[in-house]
Amino acid sequence: MKLSARGRRILELTLPALTVVAFVAGWEAFVDLRGIAPIYLPAPSSILEYLLRMIADGSMGFNLGVTLLRIFAGFAVAAVAGVLVGVVMGMSRIAARVADPWIAALYPLPKISLIPLLIIWLGTGETYKIVISAVSAFFPIVISAYSGIRQADQGLIKAAKDLGANRRQVQMKVVIPAAIPSIFAGLHLGMGVTIILVVAAEMIGGSGQSGMGYLLIHAGQVMETEKVFASLVVLAVMGALVIKAQQWIDRRVAPWTALHDGH
Amino acid sequence: MDILVEGVSRIWPGRKGTSVTALQDFSYHFRSGRFTCLLGPSGCGKSTLIQIMGGIEDATSGSVRVVDPAVTSRARPLGRDSVMVWQTLNLFPWRNVLDNVAFGLEMQGMPRAQRHAKARALLVSVGLRGFETHLPGQLSGGMRQRVALARALIMARPIMLMDEPFGALDAQTKIVMQEELLRIFDETRKTIVFVTHAIEEAILLGDEVIVMTARPGRIKEVITVDLPRPRSLELVSTKAFGMLFDRAFHLIREEVMKSLEQQAAMLEEAQ
Repeated sequence: MKLSARGRRILELTLPALTVVAFVAGWEAFVDLRGIAPIYLPAPSSILEYLLRMIADGSMGFNLGVTLLRIFAGFAVAAVAGVLVGVVMGMSRIAARVADPWIAALYPLPKISLIPLLIIWLGTGETYKIVISAVSAFFPIVISAYSGIRQADQGLIKAAKDLGANRRQVQMKVVIPAAIPSIFAGLHLGMGVTIILVVAAEMIGGSGQSGMGYLLIHAGQVMETEKVFASLVVLAVMGALVIKAQQWIDRRVAPWTALHDGH
Repeated sequence: MDILVEGVSRIWPGRKGTSVTALQDFSYHFRSGRFTCLLGPSGCGKSTLIQIMGGIEDATSGSVRVVDPAVTSRARPLGRDSVMVWQTLNLFPWRNVLDNVAFGLEMQGMPRAQRHAKARALLVSVGLRGFETHLPGQLSGGMRQRVALARALIMARPIMLMDEPFGALDAQTKIVMQEELLRIFDETRKTIVFVTHAIEEAILLGDEVIVMTARPGRIKEVITVDLPRPRSLELVSTKAFGMLFDRAFHLIREEVMKSLEQQAAMLEEAQ
């Protein structure tokens, strides 16, 4: 099949959307023709119906809002602590030596295994959800910030010294800005972990009776499969939007990272 | 500002107690307002030498001192007298052109308006008007080179050290930058030390060309280039230039052969 450049362009733009439409249509037809019980696999149309109903009665907005608040709270704590500790470790050999055994021991530990202990200590309220997500997100952030500082281009540091920068100026004006791409990479990883842990904590703790995780587990327990799917769709869209927002902030704050060669 | 390099050696410790002597007992008196090129095969220690002269690396032994012959005959230890232009440029990728050029003044605490005014004037003189707010990553190789030059020139230090600054440029851009540098030299009459492995470049730019030996780097011969200034690329096709080129070429060919043998021996050892 021969295509003009224009035709190719149109195809490139429409084909991804068409595959989604085709998939949803196929799903609808499959459920409809085979008469599959909604408990196992609801039709996309009824998922949409449930989703709209949940939006209309406010339950989706409320639970999504609660989950987002917990995510941002956990992430904010992890980001501030992680970047701070990572930068201090990168700049002070003693700090790095002191922190190293702790990080080496705690980083590989699956954070989800801390849930029983945290519930004993903190109960199943907000503190527990924020602490578990912040603790989990802390490690990728601190490690990225530390390595970003350590791996600052020696050539830039030498050049800054040659141009008269003192030790403090080298750190503030060269080492920290040079670490920003790495710090941002850590924040991306941390955000991903925060989302996972907040939703997991909502599923396991459950005393709050709120949040997307609670919505999911509750709908699953009472076999409202349409609600499960509706919640999954909302979670997927939420995750995608949060990541897009982060990328947008990265480009605004550090436009040079998008340029492949800065030297 | 004269630079007195006396008995400078640099020895790198190697594996299993071995060591590599990059530079051995190098002495030379670089004179004020002269353009001196360091020419040698790769690995001859010419980059190491210029880094030591800039106070960026330490010598294993020997000393670098400076003296302004117009003022005194007493040499003093190297201070903030020189500025380096790097082979890798080392521009700060997060700073725009203006703030890259003004970096040194910012470190001195000069107010923003004042340092920006100075940087702007310098950017005009190197032909970068209108690119003040561009990031280095948005510029071509030749333009980045100009930013690096402006960033060094703004320091107004009497000595400019240049470590193969045009090595990464394409042939046409390199010619333009060489002429630019000749013009800057004629205008400022700084003491310039310029490292290169290109014979033509060394003769076109330099008043003296120090031909260095293969590792360990020592002075093999100093060629005086008594071609008139202001110079331009047309010089390359003159007979005088050709004779100097031949002389330098014969000196350096021996050293390149030696350097290749050394590298072959090192590879064999590694296997």
